[in-house]
Amino acid sequence: MSTEEVVKARSIADATVATLRSFEIPATPANYAIWYEYHAGLSPNLQKTIDVMISNDARFDETALQDLYSLFFSSAKEAQAVRHTSLLALDTLQEIVGLADGAGADAHQFGAALKGFASKDLGQSLDNLKGLIENLVVESKKMAGRSEYVGLRMRESADKIEALERNLESAIRDSTIDALTGVANRKSFETVIRKIAGDAMNSGDDLSLLMIDIDHFKRVNDTWGHQTGDTVLRHLAQTVQQAVRGGDHVARYGGEEFAVILPRTDARSAVNVAENIRKALAREPLQLDLNPPMTPITVSIGAACYEPGDPLADWVGRTDAALYHAKNEGRNRVELDRGWN
Amino acid sequence: MQKMRAETVWNSIEGGTSESVVSNVIPRLCLITDDSAPVRRIARKILTGLGFEVDEAEHGQVALDKCQVRMPNMILLDWNMPVMDGLEFLVALRHSEGGKVPTVIFCTTETDVEHIQKAIECGADDYLMKPFDRETLTATLAGVTPRA
Repeated sequence: MSTEEVVKARSIADATVATLRSFEIPATPANYAIWYEYHAGLSPNLQKTIDVMISNDARFDETALQDLYSLFFSSAKEAQAVRHTSLLALDTLQEIVGLADGAGADAHQFGAALKGFASKDLGQSLDNLKGLIENLVVESKKMAGRSEYVGLRMRESADKIEALERNLESAIRDSTIDALTGVANRKSFETVIRKIAGDAMNSGDDLSLLMIDIDHFKRVNDTWGHQTGDTVLRHLAQTVQQAVRGGDHVARYGGEEFAVILPRTDARSAVNVAENIRKALAREPLQLDLNPPMTPITVSIGAACYEPGDPLADWVGRTDAALYHAKNEGRNRVELDRGWN
Repeated sequence: MQKMRAETVWNSIEGGTSESVVSNVIPRLCLITDDSAPVRRIARKILTGLGFEVDEAEHGQVALDKCQVRMPNMILLDWNMPVMDGLEFLVALRHSEGGKVPTVIFCTTETDVEHIQKAIECGADDYLMKPFDRETLTATLAGVTPRA
């Protein structure tokens, strides 16, 4: 491998790591392979597919990443297998370099093996590559044997912990539920609103959105503490969930703000649903034994209808503007979008 | 800015130099192929605003017939349609005479990797997820290089 090629491979690896980080993609070997190939520009179709996902703001969740891998990397063709293996080789190489750094001394011999590896062309046949990697593994094991036993065990444990952490990270990353209230989280809301709006655009059906905000929520937190605040949030989430129909979609949008997507619902019906929520909250207030006693919780609600052909952000903005108007008009009320935004 | 760029890219091809007067610029024909009337109406409005001449087809077979009469410069293509779906149409188009000329942009509610990959493999130039709007459609047009 010439110096130039090493530099190039290095910059591709750097770009790969940076992309994994910016999209919050777990750094598994498969994901590393996908993005290494993307940055190396080895497969135009993979590149185009990923570019389409990026330009459409699509999410690289576990399903998407698995599909990318199985579509572009599972072919049995030898050429692809060689490429794949060289990617894994680079992975191994990086890991071993990390190990060498950790072990500190006695890396001399190991360095020689690395040099041998680097001087060979990664694009060579599969068998040659296998030999090179095997050699590397043997050398790395020798070195590991010389370092302290404790250090080695620590390294093993660290690997296991890292794997566990990765699983946990993926689970958290791909979660669609708000842990506190049990309704959909913001991320899930973003995905669902696009899907539902796409269907509404096709069908021409009405589609409405509600934004619900708890009045004087800061006062609740300041007076009775955050635990009480959390109880209030859970109670509101339940009340909203019970006041809407099965096909409606409730999400925690942020702090004390909730969103409800209402398919096949026009402006008048959306206001009715919003009023039902507001009244249900008044009818069944949260019963808490607090000192000082809590004043009844109320909400302000903004409503707006989707206009196909307008950006989704505009629609959310119009709903938010209606909510803002409800707040300004004295709270504990519903306002329909009347083009303030 | 995106609108400017889309107009520049799509109007500068056959019209020749930038000095050409409007009457010398041959309008770029876009064939909207979608079984949804609301989608065709919205797309027509946006594309007309960008200076396109617009025609419509409600499924792949109608689009194929229209392409044989006059090959469009661009096709906005839905996936799920009766009679002939978008992918069948795309494959038939690319194998037909002059069928490599139009720029084809899939425009669909299908958002998974498999659909995107299939579309690209079969000769789509780009892929726009519904719901689209003036901004996203214009940005997509600005991002593709006209084939002819």
